[in-house]
Amino acid sequence: MRDNTLKYLLVLPAIVVVFATAIWPLIEAARLSFTVGRLNRPGSLDQYLGWENYAWAFFEEPAFWNSVWVTAIYTILTVALTTILALGLALLLAPGGRLRSGAQTLLILPFAMSPALIGVSFRFMFNPEFGLFDAFFGALIPPLADVSWLADPNLAFAVVVMADVWGWIPFLTLVLIGGLASVPRDTIEAAQVDGASGWRVFRDVTLPQLGPVLAVVIILKSIFSLKTFDQVFMLTNGGPGTATQTLSHYIYFNGMKYGQIGYSASVAWLMVIPMIFLTYAYAKFVFRKV
Amino acid sequence: MSIAPMPEPETFGRNPKRGLSGRQKKRIAEFVQVALILIAIFVMLVPIIWIFLAAFKTHVDVYQLKLFFTPTFENFGTVFDDPYRLGEKLFNSTIVALVTVVFAIPIATLAAYSFSRFTLRGETLMLVIILATQFVPAVVIILPFFVMFRDIGLLDTRLGLILVNLAIVMPFAIWMIKGFIDGIPMDTEEAAMVDGSSRLQVIRNIVLPMAAPGLLTSAIFCFIIAWNEFLFALILTNKNAVTLPIGLALFKGEEGDLWNLLSAAGIIIMAPMFVLALMIRKYFVQGMTMGAVR
Repeated sequence: MRDNTLKYLLVLPAIVVVFATAIWPLIEAARLSFTVGRLNRPGSLDQYLGWENYAWAFFEEPAFWNSVWVTAIYTILTVALTTILALGLALLLAPGGRLRSGAQTLLILPFAMSPALIGVSFRFMFNPEFGLFDAFFGALIPPLADVSWLADPNLAFAVVVMADVWGWIPFLTLVLIGGLASVPRDTIEAAQVDGASGWRVFRDVTLPQLGPVLAVVIILKSIFSLKTFDQVFMLTNGGPGTATQTLSHYIYFNGMKYGQIGYSASVAWLMVIPMIFLTYAYAKFVFRKV
Repeated sequence: MSIAPMPEPETFGRNPKRGLSGRQKKRIAEFVQVALILIAIFVMLVPIIWIFLAAFKTHVDVYQLKLFFTPTFENFGTVFDDPYRLGEKLFNSTIVALVTVVFAIPIATLAAYSFSRFTLRGETLMLVIILATQFVPAVVIILPFFVMFRDIGLLDTRLGLILVNLAIVMPFAIWMIKGFIDGIPMDTEEAAMVDGSSRLQVIRNIVLPMAAPGLLTSAIFCFIIAWNEFLFALILTNKNAVTLPIGLALFKGEEGDLWNLLSAAGIIIMAPMFVLALMIRKYFVQGMTMGAVR
């Protein structure tokens, strides 16, 4: 067979799978978003009502805006905290040696953990009676000694953020260590010989060189933060009230618990839009091969 | 560090600390760093260790902050008994993750080879779309699948779960394997073609053996992702096809969570993944970033 035909035949199965498992559901979700779409009412999945679902989300549903707000704060906090802490840890671990390489290996472990299990383990750690972190923070900050973390809206939110940061620091650290390895050592040494302080070397030499990798890390983490569902579901299930209800959780709840497939599809599509921008930004870096 | 300690020039630096030589400063800095690293390791491992401990505690000990206790293996028996029957979930998880990988890897390999070796019309667009599908929120994908599976009777089946899992695994697999094939030099292939081998023979006899370690790495990577997958299984299964992460919800008793059993189940979920992840740790970053960072 000629290569010219073969090369398309080789990608065909993959394209079919990607189309069937990702493109089709996106299109079908868009269609559903314009329908009445009640799971328990046969025929309502083909009953069109225009933009009403979107209008409902925007103008009639404070819970929608609540989840937008929760997701936004959650994303900003987790991206910032994870990136900063991971950068610090990467700088600490990058030089290598037995202790540091060993620590790098251990970093794999939290990342291999199912996010659902991370949620479970943090619920365990913050149990008011026998949670280890609960006891630790209680001893450190006395006003927190007798609070029930997951029952307080703000503290529950803090726990959800902590769980996410805990789960993602290892991966981002490993990526940044990879990035640091590509910063030429002689530039750093030259700066040191010139008498630049550690902080100056970091700010003027390391950080600019690390820029593209840092951008990749921030985009990737933003995408995963926006999508967050598993830990939230296992840790707080959106509660108390709706204090930790992320968009994914809001969509899940409306679609699966209340059977409002049409409405939840419209919110889901609203969520796709920022993803398109982030993916576009990410693709630029992938093709540049930082 | 292999560089000889350099005498710190006294005149440099805005605020030279008097009384400390450069070597002393360096030693203090190293001490602070080691301390910070140890704290970081501790924080990273504590939740995991805590689960490991709790899994060996009795249902009395687990409700206290105890570091020392008489270990018991009872929990690991209980979770496999009625009414929890974790064995069924373990079986489902294994089958679903395994079959997902068995489908995904060959399909991804063919596509990755083509993307790597040929120039296709619309290649960049195809690659971007494949990349983009990874970033689509799972909750968007699952709504239409739920409706369709309900209509054709695929709800709560392992087959249904495998089909949607392909959606999350394929982009990783294609991008990762493409990275590995990009790294294989083309001369051997060209030589074999000159000797009269067909393209498919070349793929089978030369590319596959050379890419085998990469394919295995990608397979393990995809297995971990499929194993840990949560949202699809939560929505699509309720009894027969329940996987391990969803099975965690079983251990909510009437008086709250049964932490000793939850922890035992947690170990069963995470221990195999730890082993697999350690096997492919060198490629983890490349895989997760789809080759944006190597």
